[in-house]
Amino acid sequence: MNWPIHRWLQPAVVAVLAAVAAVLLGVSVGHGDAAHAAAMPVTGEVLNYASPVELLFSPDGARLYVLCQQSDEVRVLDAKSDAAIKSITVGRVPRGFSLSASGDRLFVANSWDDTVSIIDTKSLAITATWPVGSEPSSIVADREGKRLFVANRISNDVAVLDANTGVEEKRLAAGRGASYITPSPDGSRLYVTHVYPNPTPHRTAPESEITVIDTARAVVVDRIILHNIAHAFHVAFSADGRLGVAAEMHPKNLIPLAHLEHGGAFADTLMLFGADVGKPVEIPLDELERYAVRPFGVAIMADKSRIFVTCEGSELVTVLDVQRLLRFAHTHRGPNAQDLSASADYVIAHIAVGHDPRGMAMKHDGHSLLVANRLDDTISVIDTRTNRLASTIALAGPKKLSVLRHGEQTFYTARHSFQGQIGCANCHIDSTFDGLTWDLEPDGFGRDIVDNRPIEDVKDTEPFKWNGGNPNLPTECGPRTEKYFWRAENYDDLTLTDLVVYIRSLQARPNRWRRPISESTPAQERGKDLFTRDKDKFGNAILETNRCVFCHSGKKGTNQKSFDVGTKKWTDNTGPLDTPQLTNIGITGPYLHDGSAATLEQIWTVFNPEDKHGRTNDLTKDELNDLIEYLRTR
Amino acid sequence: MRVCASVLRAVAWVAFLLPVCGFAPNPSQKIGTDVIVTAALAYEPLAAIRGEERFPKGAQLLLLHDGKTEPLLTDFAATADANVSFDAHRVLFSGKKRVTDAWQIWELTLRDHDVRQLTEGQQDAIRPLYLPDGNMVYALRTPQGFQLESAKIALTENSDGQKPAGTLAVLPLTYSQASAVPADVLADGRILFEAGFPLGSGAVPEMFLVYSDGSGVESYRCDHGTGMVGGRWGGKQLASGDVVFTHGDSLARFTSPLAHEERIAAPHAEYAGAIIETASGAWLVSARSTNSSPYALKLFKPGAVASRTVYARGENVVEPVLVAPRNRPRRHPSALHEWDYANMLALDARISRDGPLSGVPVSVRLEMQDAAGRAVAMGTAPVEKDGSFFVKAPADKPIRFALLDGKGAVLRQEHGWFWIRRGEQRICVGCHAGPERASENRVPAVLLRTTTAVDLTSAVQHSLSGGN
Repeated sequence: MNWPIHRWLQPAVVAVLAAVAAVLLGVSVGHGDAAHAAAMPVTGEVLNYASPVELLFSPDGARLYVLCQQSDEVRVLDAKSDAAIKSITVGRVPRGFSLSASGDRLFVANSWDDTVSIIDTKSLAITATWPVGSEPSSIVADREGKRLFVANRISNDVAVLDANTGVEEKRLAAGRGASYITPSPDGSRLYVTHVYPNPTPHRTAPESEITVIDTARAVVVDRIILHNIAHAFHVAFSADGRLGVAAEMHPKNLIPLAHLEHGGAFADTLMLFGADVGKPVEIPLDELERYAVRPFGVAIMADKSRIFVTCEGSELVTVLDVQRLLRFAHTHRGPNAQDLSASADYVIAHIAVGHDPRGMAMKHDGHSLLVANRLDDTISVIDTRTNRLASTIALAGPKKLSVLRHGEQTFYTARHSFQGQIGCANCHIDSTFDGLTWDLEPDGFGRDIVDNRPIEDVKDTEPFKWNGGNPNLPTECGPRTEKYFWRAENYDDLTLTDLVVYIRSLQARPNRWRRPISESTPAQERGKDLFTRDKDKFGNAILETNRCVFCHSGKKGTNQKSFDVGTKKWTDNTGPLDTPQLTNIGITGPYLHDGSAATLEQIWTVFNPEDKHGRTNDLTKDELNDLIEYLRTR
Repeated sequence: MRVCASVLRAVAWVAFLLPVCGFAPNPSQKIGTDVIVTAALAYEPLAAIRGEERFPKGAQLLLLHDGKTEPLLTDFAATADANVSFDAHRVLFSGKKRVTDAWQIWELTLRDHDVRQLTEGQQDAIRPLYLPDGNMVYALRTPQGFQLESAKIALTENSDGQKPAGTLAVLPLTYSQASAVPADVLADGRILFEAGFPLGSGAVPEMFLVYSDGSGVESYRCDHGTGMVGGRWGGKQLASGDVVFTHGDSLARFTSPLAHEERIAAPHAEYAGAIIETASGAWLVSARSTNSSPYALKLFKPGAVASRTVYARGENVVEPVLVAPRNRPRRHPSALHEWDYANMLALDARISRDGPLSGVPVSVRLEMQDAAGRAVAMGTAPVEKDGSFFVKAPADKPIRFALLDGKGAVLRQEHGWFWIRRGEQRICVGCHAGPERASENRVPAVLLRTTTAVDLTSAVQHSLSGGN
């Protein structure tokens, strides 16, 4: 090949420019996240956007409730005039809300406060705030008004609360990252989805579930297995309860990510279940050259004629004809996710909406479907009779696009990748991680299988990649992403800079195990001693370089250097491995560079036979548990 | 009111569709913008795919501007193949200064009418198209027929502003024993080109895709025009993303949802190539009603069965292009490695649009086409039980695969030839699986056994009978 030099120089120039710009923009960010960028003390401009994620109509249809994730509010609008009635401040990063059966109470799950807010819908005032589990993400009341069910993303369960006192009765095990609860039309069952895949053996397909709860008995009565699914979001039911539809993501993480054409990275699908289909059937939404990236919200017309699906990354709503869909489902029992021409059988429209469309709400007349555009601060109104955008409601707030906001939009959109197939958020769910391992092409097919590291609190943890090959985020997100992920022309310089500023602003979600030092548990204290020890149990000195605290030093648990810790496999290329940060390590499995350790314990009991990854073979099971208890606080 | 509106619409359409034969004095105003066309006494649109001359009696670029028709360039013996830059400031074209010259690629700056030569040689260079980032793609005549090359346009000028003769940096994009001619550059950056099907061995015109570094070559769709007579060619992408092309005596399209072509209701005619989408949404096309009449410019609304002639003369008027800004396609970032070979991983060689195999594939044979067109066996590699195989293949050469059973008998053999670029790592879902077939999420068994590809780049070579 005879390529001109400046073709190669250009990415480097972009990277340098972006790095300089990032510094100039003041990215010494103390904390921040996908939802809370506005609250951060950055020297760049910080604006308090609303970031609507979910919508609800009051039972009489007169009010529209808008759950605003960044401004920590429920905004109440007049459903006819769209005029603001009131804004109610709730807890941090509210993620889900629902009404009581009578509509007199509004329940809000505050994911970063670990609380739920109870709002009286007459006075529009908060009447109670109750503590719940870890990262509550969705909340639903039973029809009788006796119980509340709260999905906890971190503890992977559903808490059952007394609806009047907030006292927790029990927890029901759900999938990993339990996040969304949908009641059946008669209220007798709850269907719970989760955003991180359930653990499966190394280099096998991910698996998820829809946890089915009997509402009256508050017990799990079924687990609908979602084979090959890593992330599932909203569920919707037809009015007759015979058709359930779950929005989900079907990754291709087990084959080398060599190119993006022909759905090489993800299939964006729906899972159909219920009496109308019998055994669950997976239905793809993608086309040969157009993708329905990250399906999130689902709505079904009351007459069961059409299904609407918000696709976050594609910034559109996909419309499906139910009769055609069912006909397809009955004649194509699967697997269907590999067929990019299948959607032609039942997808009848794509409606462009705003940035990062999430939850939807149907007006009572069934003629208007409202879509919350999280990163636009708008609500798209779709005319369901024409399948077209009828109008757009702009929520009150900043109209200016800040650097952080633009960076976040860039993170969530799929428009930069080849044929718009993936975005950063495909593998960093809600700006975190995905619980998967990937086989990236440049390291060789089948070589250097990599665990997808979380990006929370990623600032000042350079270098990046497990081999430490990328010195900074502009390189990581610029030239590398362009060549090996997007496989398409990447961002302009300013967009890359904004993206980097956004990523560097991401703060760690609250650590649920960490307490003030004086309140650490005995196990945590013992674990900390093991983490920092310089002698083993036999009194022998541990080499400084083989102490946990040597590599995993500092506030973030990394000395930002690379080492060989004896964990390499035959599939790995040569060279040391970057020391990963320990931020929220308790929830980010699998572990090790290739994700081969399903649990923290396996790091030492299975993959540390020669004590190269710290001296641990002298420790008992209980002592390893103590070490884990401490690590969870990081 | 509804009746009135219908009548008005009908009247408007009758007026629009009234055929106007012969010269139309103000074509560019009807189209809404300036148009460049190629006028030629004789035009053989598919000749280049056969490696032959499309304009055996010469050709001349004309500018249809403000009701006038004038030659775009005056000091050339022949000009053709206009392609307007994305900002509409420049025009690429193929031209000959003297009748005896070979076609070469030139660029015209519209503002000052400056013309500069971009290619130089004894062989024809035709059909230039702008690529993103100052590149162009064109077809160069070689001993193997026309082959696609890309070149950096900016490099043709040195610091003195003079064209450095013979030093144009070029990158061959196609590696076939048969001609290929570029048709369009798609919005996603891929190059749409025409060649005979099966690629490298057949003669029926078909459309293929390749990235701008020559990697990822494949058929646009694998239905290959089932049920319709004639080849597919003259593809052009619309703003919607659909690709419209000529198929037989009509037009057809590829859409994103469908794995097969869709016929378009269009005026019955013999089409001379790609349609052009005008700002109003109408389609401008070169066509003729009988093969004894010259091609003329016609305009019609998509879906209409009648067209209106907007420009005709006593010779063929073909290859219309609008002189108007258009969206720049996205640049393809080449990720080729610095290797002199290529890797290919088949996820499941058993998957094919051609149906199930008659036996269980045990090995795969890689065949390479030599300069004489003969098939040369490069060796075999095992096929795993899940149908996967992983081979190191010779780069930039026409190759194909044959699946063998346990006795070495051929279970299935590819009809055409393709290539893998130097440093390319290619994954195929199956053998002729079709672009609608996405991969299944499982680790290919071959990668659980080894990550070293079976080296078939220099195996003992045996000539095979039946080579093309």
